Amino acid sequence: MINSSPFQHREQSIGDIMSLVIMACIPGICMSTWFFGYGLIINIVLAACCALAFEAAALLLRSRSLMQLKDNSALLTAVLFAIAIPPGSPWWLVVTGIFVAIVLVKHLYGGLGQNPFNPAMTAYVFLLLAFPLDMTSWHVPVPLEGAVGSTVLSNSLPNLSGFDNAIASSSMSSLGWQSLKLSLLATLPFLSAFYENPETAVELIDGMAMATPLIEYKMAGKSALLASWDSGLNIFSRQSETAWEMANISYLVAGLYLLYKGIISWHIPLSIVVTVLIISSLFYAPGSSSVFGTPYLHLFGSATMIGAFFIATDPVSAATSKSGKIIYGILIGCAIYSIRVWGSYLDSIALAVLFGNFFAPLLDHYCRPRIYGHKKHTSDGLGFRKKTLPLLGKLRVEKSKAEEIES
Amino acid sequence: MRLFRNMFANSKLRKMAGVQSIAHSTPGGITPHLHKSRSLRSKIMAIPIPPHLLIPLQQQQGTASAACVKAGDRVLKYQKIADATDSTSLDIYAPSSGVVSMIQNHTTINPAEKEQLCIFIDTDGKDEELAEIDAIEWQTLTREELLPVIRNAGICGMGGAGFPLPKKMETSSNREIHTLIVNAAECEPFITADQALIRERSEAVIQGAEILQYAINAKHCVIAIERSKGDAIAALSKSISHSSVEIVILDDKYPAGGERQVIQAVSGKELQANKLPADAGIHLQNVGSVYAVYRAVAESKPCISRITTLTGEALQTPKNFEALIGTPVSFLFDLCGIDKKNHAKTVVGGSLMGIELMDTSAPVMQSSNCLIAGSLAEFPDTIPEQPCIRCGFCAEACPAGLLPQQLLSYSRSEDAQQLEDHGLFDCIECGACSYVCPSKIPLVQYYRNSKEQLALSQEVFDTSKGWQARFQDHQYRIKKLKDEAEPRTAIKPANIPSAEEKPQGTFSKDQAILDVAAAVSRVKARRKNVIASSESPAKPIQADGEAET
Amino acid sequence: MLPLVGTIYFQSLMALIAVLLIMRVIYLMRQFWLQSLSRQHSIVDQINALLPQTQCGRCGHLGCRPYAKAISLGERINKCPPGGDETITNLSLLLNEHRHSLDPAHGEVLQRAVVVIREDECIGCTKCIQACPVDAILGGPKLMHTVIESECTACDLCIEPCPVDCIDLIQLGEPELLWRAPEAGKTTLIGSNL
Repeated sequence: MINSSPFQHREQSIGDIMSLVIMACIPGICMSTWFFGYGLIINIVLAACCALAFEAAALLLRSRSLMQLKDNSALLTAVLFAIAIPPGSPWWLVVTGIFVAIVLVKHLYGGLGQNPFNPAMTAYVFLLLAFPLDMTSWHVPVPLEGAVGSTVLSNSLPNLSGFDNAIASSSMSSLGWQSLKLSLLATLPFLSAFYENPETAVELIDGMAMATPLIEYKMAGKSALLASWDSGLNIFSRQSETAWEMANISYLVAGLYLLYKGIISWHIPLSIVVTVLIISSLFYAPGSSSVFGTPYLHLFGSATMIGAFFIATDPVSAATSKSGKIIYGILIGCAIYSIRVWGSYLDSIALAVLFGNFFAPLLDHYCRPRIYGHKKHTSDGLGFRKKTLPLLGKLRVEKSKAEEIES
Repeated sequence: MRLFRNMFANSKLRKMAGVQSIAHSTPGGITPHLHKSRSLRSKIMAIPIPPHLLIPLQQQQGTASAACVKAGDRVLKYQKIADATDSTSLDIYAPSSGVVSMIQNHTTINPAEKEQLCIFIDTDGKDEELAEIDAIEWQTLTREELLPVIRNAGICGMGGAGFPLPKKMETSSNREIHTLIVNAAECEPFITADQALIRERSEAVIQGAEILQYAINAKHCVIAIERSKGDAIAALSKSISHSSVEIVILDDKYPAGGERQVIQAVSGKELQANKLPADAGIHLQNVGSVYAVYRAVAESKPCISRITTLTGEALQTPKNFEALIGTPVSFLFDLCGIDKKNHAKTVVGGSLMGIELMDTSAPVMQSSNCLIAGSLAEFPDTIPEQPCIRCGFCAEACPAGLLPQQLLSYSRSEDAQQLEDHGLFDCIECGACSYVCPSKIPLVQYYRNSKEQLALSQEVFDTSKGWQARFQDHQYRIKKLKDEAEPRTAIKPANIPSAEEKPQGTFSKDQAILDVAAAVSRVKARRKNVIASSESPAKPIQADGEAET
Repeated sequence: MLPLVGTIYFQSLMALIAVLLIMRVIYLMRQFWLQSLSRQHSIVDQINALLPQTQCGRCGHLGCRPYAKAISLGERINKCPPGGDETITNLSLLLNEHRHSLDPAHGEVLQRAVVVIREDECIGCTKCIQACPVDAILGGPKLMHTVIESECTACDLCIEPCPVDCIDLIQLGEPELLWRAPEAGKTTLIGSNL
């Protein structure tokens, strides 16, 4: 067999690309950790270990080489999944989610490159439907003194006074050794057996629960938060809303870095951001009693940036042509806003991305670039269409003669 | 960023060379590592005469030439040894003096590694030339006189594809050509033959361009060259001071030197897929061929050599050679001091579109612009492909605006319709998609396979169509004969089938019912026939009920 | 930005978009209709296009088109040895029929082949010429015959009539491809990669 040209290749493997994306997540992860404590880090470590284990098992079962672990795709899925779920989620939530993502969504559909849906987001949606309570409460272990008296669960509708109380007392977790221990306990509750004082630990697990600003916003309607998001935030104040803002800015910057490196193209992120911006501007009415929220809240108050730059750009399940990507982004942008504002789910990136995934094959088919030297996106080729049944009429040899013979 | 950098570079170049125009941009493209500097260190060298020359009778696209010498003949340098058989074949001239030892098959440089008829010449080292012909003053010739001179020089395109020059000239002289583009864009890695040629012999190149411009009656002549070749541009701009030839600076990317890419870069217009450059009034010629034209016209020397780059890590002294056509590749490698241990792969052409050569005894041909003796580090073994993650890098790189990742999946599923719709036959096999693929999928190989398979099934389809037509003609003829014969034999007025034609065998009720029904229908049909055309005699109705015969 | 919802501008914008969309849909439907018009060919033609056109008569009919006609009237699709499994598959796809394996009563699957007349042994009886369904044999009475190779369908109808057995069937084998696709990744269906 003759080897075909080219004999020279760019030295950039799938593994390099994936690890670069993982690297780009780091600033956002650090920011979240700074504000919310070690929960996210513990999530990521646990998810990464599970992902590697499940990936290896799936590869072995499919009798593939374990060298495929080097493509880092399972790690990236794990990181994105861990970022998506609430920090400090219990261990079984993480393991179930990773199982769904790696085994069910990815390997059962034929492995890397074959999955029609984004694994991390499908797993997130699966968990959201199966365990809604655990997926919407954000356990933030707080130091002993801050925890006393505030036991608010976000999924139980709080009355305004209680809510404001929660806000007031949400001095964020510190990053000390004690906090790490508490975060570990939140994720792995069975560890409490090893503690000298298990009683304190158990008490602290649901010591404080908080949600994204959007959740608070939606649940509370016009509250103190509205004022804070309307009037601008104090970036250095370590409030929960500031945390979201800072994390989003980190992901935005990291996304721009990925754009610069050429890992992702600008089409999907830009069209998502612009769509969300336009729709939220259209619907936002300052001073009215509607609950649509400011454009700023929609862009920086939740997971829009990580969704636009990291999740929707997953190449496997996204559209591939330029125009297809733009339409894909617009669809996701519309879905993000619609589900957030009119739907019953709170943060809607996962659902919106899955919604976009449904359209990807269709977009691939219809949004093809124009072929060089042709007017349209299809080519005439050799004019050979043997296998297409409807066009077989080309083989009509002198119809008149054939008819005459048959008559 | 890149835009600003280019603007800056352009202004610098303008000052330096008085360059008239900067090229239009073309879609797609990549910027690979070029590996060019090593072979550009030294000047072009003429090679010593190899002991054996083997000259393939077909070095270009088209048909093979017919040898006009036989084994045992002594030939002189520049003596014609093979005649062109049609417009796509070339006259071939002896590169050196010697004795024709044999004419037989030998491996040559082609993708199939196929054997081809070659003329073997044992050189005598005297390099005796045919009686000296005086150089022609080409300015004094008319176009009609000039064209045969170029046509008979046995030149084919030296850019790599090897399209015969006579055929191209014929196409162009039948059409109105407004621009001659000399393609000096050598965008593939490793190749430096054209750059070295321009650097050292820019006067001859410019003269060759003027000759060609005169021959095809083009109004403008443009030399297209990439920005990175500063030394060549400088040499050119010195030489064009007293001529009307212009320089166009192309972007540094691969494939800037593709036919359609150069035309778009120079004219700003996309060439339609089904059109030739000549249809758009453009004649595109590689700079190596232009130099050969200069030699053929101004010096009256037919094409017997070409400038070939020898490079690769396995060679100690990579350089450009003025190699005689027919020199074995191994002879050239030895001249450059080949390190056999380090030599892993031989590639003819650049690293992105070249072909792998298994047998280095194959001869240099007119289209072999570069010979790479690559080490394992340069050309690593093929890595097993990983799954496609649809990253779309290939679609961004594709200069033809295709979606390589979609083509791949259709190529794997052998979906002929989708392959055609997605423009498989617009793929120029430049290899940019494979180059950027992070999964290291040999995309071009898939496409070549699919193209070949589609062409094969097209062939099968066409033949079966021919068979069908012949079969119908055959049936038609037989029926005609029968129809003509019948009135003579069957004089009986009753056209009811005769008794012997009826099945004589066993009686079956079903058969009888069918027969009766058939008879009734026949009579009905006949009556109808008679009523319809009472003047014309009733045609005998065929006894055989099965019309389909 | 201003709250635009509910204003006349917003409504007129939406109306404009709706009108454009409807026009596009109408246009596409018309295109589809026109296409479907151009696709109407008789079923016999469509079947005939899938047959290999060797005209060998192994199916029991005089040629491929008669067999195509018979199929359109309900005959089984597995009677074509030269076409082999590929033809049966294509026909079953076209006619939505069960994919029976080739009927052994009509012979085994045939490869690409061609017949050649051993010319010095030919006595010029013209029997093969009469047998050839595609007129691919040249020659006259008492004169040597020869086969036009490019027109020969390898139906082998000429072999039996020859009184001196001077006609050979030569197998051509599979055509060699220059470029072969890599072995890896020959799957297309989602999930079939397990």
